[in-house]
Amino acid sequence: MAKDLPKDLKDIPTEVIETDLLIVGGGNAGCFAAIEAKKLNPNLRVTIMEKAHISRSGATAAGMDAINTYIPEGKTPEDLVRWSRSQVGGGPIREDLALSNAQNLNEAVEDLEEWGLPILRDEEGNAQYRGGWDVSIHGEQLKPIMAEKAMAMGAEVYNRIAATSLLMDGDRCVGAMGFGVRDGKFYIFRAKAVIVSTGGACGLYKSYTSDATSSHHQTWMSPFNVGTGYAMGIRQGAEMTSLEQRWVATRTKDFCGPVDTISVGYKSSITNARGERILQERYAHLGGDKAPRYIRANAPMEEWLAGRGPTYADTTHMTPEEVKDMKTDYLNERPAFVLFLAARGQDITKDPIEIYGSDPYVVGGHTQSGYWVDIERMTTVSALFAAGETAGGNPNKFVGGCAAEGKLATRGAVKYMATVTLPELDTQQVEREKERIFAPLLRGPEFDGVSQTEMEERMQRLMDEYAGGTSQFYRTNEERLDYALKHLKMLRDQTKFLYAKDLHDLMNAHEVIDRLDVAEVLVHHLKFRKETRWQGWQTRSDYPDTDPKFDCFVESRRNKETGEIEMFTRPYEQIVPGDRYQP
Amino acid sequence: MPPRVDREKCDGCKAEEEPLCAQICPGDLMVLGENKKAYCRAARDCWDCMSCTKVCPVGAIETRAPYQLGYHVAKLIPMMGTNTITWTCIDINGKVERFRYKNRTT
Amino acid sequence: MSKPVPKIALFIWDPGERLARGLDLEALLQKFSKAKGVARAEVIADPWSAAWFASIKEDLAAGRIDRILWVGHFTPQQMKILQGELQPAGLNTFLHHWCDLEEQGILLAGIDQGVRNRKVLALLEMALARTRLLEPLEPLELPASEAMLIIGAGVAGIHTAASLAELGKRVYLVEKESGVGGKVALLSRFYPRLCDPHCGLQHALDRLHASQLVEFHTLATVMSLEGGPGNFAARIQKRPRYVNEQRCNGCGVCTGVCPVKVPGAPGDRDVFPQAGASPQPDRKAIHPAFPLAFPPAYVIDREDCLAGCRECEQVCPAQAVELNQTPEEQVLNVGAVLVTTGWDPYPLDRVAEFGYGRHPRMISNLEMETLLGAELQRPAPDFLGSGLREVGFIQCAGSRDERHLKYCSAVCCAVTLKQALTFKELAPEANCYVFFMDMRCPGFNEELYRRARDQGVIFIRERPTSVKIDETTGKLNIRVKDPILERPVRVDLDLLVLAGGMAPAEGTPDLARVLNLPQNQYGFFESHQQCHPEESQRTGIFVGGCAREPMNVSQSIESAHLAAMKALKFLQGSVIIEPTYPVVDKTRCDQCKRCVEECPFGSFGFDEKSFPTPDLARCRQCGNCMGVCPLGVISLRHHTIKQTAAQVEALNPAFMGEGEPVILAFLCANDAYPAARAAVDQGLPVPPNVISIKVPCAGSVNNALVADALSFGIDGVLIAGCRDDQCHYVRGSQLVQKRSGDLGEKLRTMMLEPARVRFESLEIRESQRYVDLLQAYIEDLKAMGANPFKI
Repeated sequence: MAKDLPKDLKDIPTEVIETDLLIVGGGNAGCFAAIEAKKLNPNLRVTIMEKAHISRSGATAAGMDAINTYIPEGKTPEDLVRWSRSQVGGGPIREDLALSNAQNLNEAVEDLEEWGLPILRDEEGNAQYRGGWDVSIHGEQLKPIMAEKAMAMGAEVYNRIAATSLLMDGDRCVGAMGFGVRDGKFYIFRAKAVIVSTGGACGLYKSYTSDATSSHHQTWMSPFNVGTGYAMGIRQGAEMTSLEQRWVATRTKDFCGPVDTISVGYKSSITNARGERILQERYAHLGGDKAPRYIRANAPMEEWLAGRGPTYADTTHMTPEEVKDMKTDYLNERPAFVLFLAARGQDITKDPIEIYGSDPYVVGGHTQSGYWVDIERMTTVSALFAAGETAGGNPNKFVGGCAAEGKLATRGAVKYMATVTLPELDTQQVEREKERIFAPLLRGPEFDGVSQTEMEERMQRLMDEYAGGTSQFYRTNEERLDYALKHLKMLRDQTKFLYAKDLHDLMNAHEVIDRLDVAEVLVHHLKFRKETRWQGWQTRSDYPDTDPKFDCFVESRRNKETGEIEMFTRPYEQIVPGDRYQP
Repeated sequence: MPPRVDREKCDGCKAEEEPLCAQICPGDLMVLGENKKAYCRAARDCWDCMSCTKVCPVGAIETRAPYQLGYHVAKLIPMMGTNTITWTCIDINGKVERFRYKNRTT
Repeated sequence: MSKPVPKIALFIWDPGERLARGLDLEALLQKFSKAKGVARAEVIADPWSAAWFASIKEDLAAGRIDRILWVGHFTPQQMKILQGELQPAGLNTFLHHWCDLEEQGILLAGIDQGVRNRKVLALLEMALARTRLLEPLEPLELPASEAMLIIGAGVAGIHTAASLAELGKRVYLVEKESGVGGKVALLSRFYPRLCDPHCGLQHALDRLHASQLVEFHTLATVMSLEGGPGNFAARIQKRPRYVNEQRCNGCGVCTGVCPVKVPGAPGDRDVFPQAGASPQPDRKAIHPAFPLAFPPAYVIDREDCLAGCRECEQVCPAQAVELNQTPEEQVLNVGAVLVTTGWDPYPLDRVAEFGYGRHPRMISNLEMETLLGAELQRPAPDFLGSGLREVGFIQCAGSRDERHLKYCSAVCCAVTLKQALTFKELAPEANCYVFFMDMRCPGFNEELYRRARDQGVIFIRERPTSVKIDETTGKLNIRVKDPILERPVRVDLDLLVLAGGMAPAEGTPDLARVLNLPQNQYGFFESHQQCHPEESQRTGIFVGGCAREPMNVSQSIESAHLAAMKALKFLQGSVIIEPTYPVVDKTRCDQCKRCVEECPFGSFGFDEKSFPTPDLARCRQCGNCMGVCPLGVISLRHHTIKQTAAQVEALNPAFMGEGEPVILAFLCANDAYPAARAAVDQGLPVPPNVISIKVPCAGSVNNALVADALSFGIDGVLIAGCRDDQCHYVRGSQLVQKRSGDLGEKLRTMMLEPARVRFESLEIRESQRYVDLLQAYIEDLKAMGANPFKI
């Protein structure tokens, strides 16, 4: 369906949509936010701006096999906070956010069940837990169920609109702008409050699976979540937190699929080439099999580095029934993994599943990277709220937690907007943004420039080699980080050479631009934290030990005038009593 | 994980503006070609969520493992029921595994 | 916030204890009284007992039960009575479900008791599953117009308008010519009485005027039709008449001064009508309406006028001439539309072997009407000059011919006989020869044939392959071999009439497009030939007369009246919609538009957000939309996909035990289900392996249900419907076959046998065939082995 490319900005129509609550990113948190808003006030105008199609967009596109977390009988929200805190090596974490999330968590999960999500229960009706906090579900329809509910509640959904920038009135956010990936129009959404829920950022680093032909996106995280939400805020001077706490995880080798299903669900230990059970052998002092997540993430890589690879999740003890159940779990979350095993004719009771570390991601639903938010989930930009993986400070949210975050952010947003009126549209601002958006497309087919693929690959290799990617076993040091910053700066400057031959390309071009903005801030965070607190997630070869000076949050903010990234810290506050390092 | 469209079976969703696979792909990768058949514009960008494979009403789409990762002619075929999904997996040795579970309770 | 739990009353009615003999009813009751949602379960002694009814009503009033599952063999009449009795007590008529165990073959001889017991359990579980999901429904009443639109003011249109007007219905008669009457106004005589057609037409017009409810719109065509039955909005465009219809009294003074003469069919007897000449007599640019001078106002054919001439305007005593008129548009709101646009003669010049157009005395049968009609009005002492003694007729000129009209035009034989008899009346010494293949005079028209023979008309049963013109004499020469005499026969004709056929009216494709009406293979408006000939495939739009197929005048009038009778349903001021209409779940619909395309009745429009929306009055509730939707988001109320899916899930796929396959059969309500039911009633050996679910149309079965059945381990899925060319809903059977084919392909890739899913067509009494095909199916399934999903 080749459309004639516009030759001039004037040829591009503009749509202006006014609403009360704008939700950028119709994923898990975004759908829950919309549903909650309509529950609170059915007359509220609620609009979802979504880059893909909300029925299958985002990280839950293929489904989910478990909801981590759901507080079981006998446990309290404080227990969950303690566990979460210990999983990130004692933090620091935003315990206020974690507690309020935990208090709203079960309600969100029960909502899903009521809307038709099958939660596996035994004969007595008790949910089947596979770990301490995660319940098994058949979540192949998880996303459609949420999306339908959002639509049924009356949210107005704009699919195939890529968000590119926040709409500002001074320091206040009054909406967002973007373009139609199908219709090529310029979109301006004006809203009294905005929730940014675009998920995390994948593809900042080169995935080791990124062979040329068909595996570029063979990542654990959704490669279509590129950190646009973060980038939009960064560009408006929003404060970001903890980006250095990247999410790196043990994943199936080459396929890069989830492994918790096996390791936690079926109690498969991590082993190395010698058959040693690594966590028990080398990390007993840190909890062994129950060691913090980043230990488990990093462990296989250390084995490889020491020459004791390959590493495995030992599935050789599993019964045929367990194998079938495990595959059913995968079919619910990452079905192609079953195909992967079939394509190797692999019998996992004889050949255990090989595992490896993933490429690093920024994903605030697993670690705590993201916007700095207050208890109402408002960012440091007025009227801008963050929900789900986009919000930082609280790790271990996962599906249930992000859903709860959606609700919380909406409650905050709805309270906030009660006193808000919309200003006049700043025509200069929108014209500038329109020009910026469509520039790659208007450069024309003869333009001598750079494709988004080329720029993306360049950035990804740069980050991998200099900012602690898998090829470096996550290690980096001051000099490499400076090198990364220098070249990221050049790359950002070179975005003026990006060309796009159609709207899909244009979307990809902006994804690269957004990723570069996030990558820059990420590197500053890695530079600033001169210690190694969460090995694997954040490893400084030049500062291999923990430094109590950094027992705090590392924050960043871009100076809107100078463009410089300013780094500072915020203190950690323990709210839930107990030993930080114990669950 | 490139989706492979069988051009015989694909009818481009009757050449409506947006075939179902194009509507649903989270990566905007499926597109209607000049010959009014759907195809994946960039196999390397596919995340193998299999939404296209599930939604195709004539079963024209197959998700394949890239050869870099696994060997040829293994199949994973979803069949959508009302509240149930069935998967059939056939490995490179011809071994068949079948799975069935409810994906909705209402 | 959970859904209310249903409270089911389960009643087993077993008169004569036929069920009790084969089943342990007490044990069943014991088990099912504890089933989810069951509030009350019992065997009822007498469903007509007042005391028992009272107890149900009490339970309903107290909220202890809110729906009923009836288990037993009830007739449709009995069901209606029970529903009717309980409705005043607050039980919605849709909150009943009927499970006929007998119909499912439970009592057939020779079934293993274990199988019987398990099958009953499966059937009851299925019935309960559906009953739990029932919803109360109320019919909709939509306000509707009481006016009728009739397109085409020929004999059928006029007569029907008169009849409707007499019933008090307003009628808009839209006619493209300047006057009414159509082809019949051009005819010389009607058969068999050989009376004047204008007599009948005038009589109908008189009836029309008496009621004053008929509004004429001549020089008008329909440009668009929006809305649905009960509420159509037809936009018509009227070409200017240039004469004020109200002021003109038809005095004709204008024609005296009009300087333009337009020759029509010549009135001069020495000149024969030329092939293709206009049937209209000589006229001026301003002239009376044609074919009938009704409406009485004159009309100006402006393209014939001389530039700048205003003679008529200046002379008109009533100041009725309006040379500045422009085309007008008007919207008519009507409840139903009747199409009676008639026919046009098949162009005889295409029938090359005769050379129509080469000779002034080779004319068509329609032109013969003009000739005879002119003569009958003003007879001359020597009819048509001298030398008109030998007249020939060639039948089937262009009809029943692969190269031209493949069908028989129905009236040409009788018309020729009529013309021959009329000719003999006018010129008794003339000889008439009829060359024919068959003489088709069905019914009482046989008399025409006898009379013609008695009058000496000569019939030669051979069709000429060519006509020669004798250059010297100017006569038309035909040679054939007479098959009875077995001798060559030669005639030299003064006049040859080619009995041409009836083709669809020229404007048919345009009107078909405007009304979105399908045309059949011959180009006529498609109708349902046997049972509903007056119905088109668009609800609320009817077709009558030759617009539908070639027929004579009486038949045209009859067929149009039949259509009007059916149309009355939509002219009552309101339209009642049965609540079992389709509903689109817009949260899941992705606007792929398959439903819009596949609906056999064109019932779908779009709402303001481009979601497909069925017009409830057009919809015939066949469920094909539900069947074709790839996402299963459309359901007919009371026959929803979820309700059926719940039944399918409740079917125990192992009820037959080891080694015997289980078949789920979806049977269409029209043909397949009665055939299956008859098989049981007749005591035929219906295999116990099958459990059936009745569906409105085979095309309403969604692939997701078939997928469900297979994934739960059912060995075979049978979809049985009408034969392709007999489907009550036009193409339901075809559609489901295509879809099952697609699913079969997928099954093959899944290493499941595509033949597990099959479509069979059944006619309503093919009970033995039902049994035979089931037995063959079972053998096939046994050879395939059990469904690997039977876990």
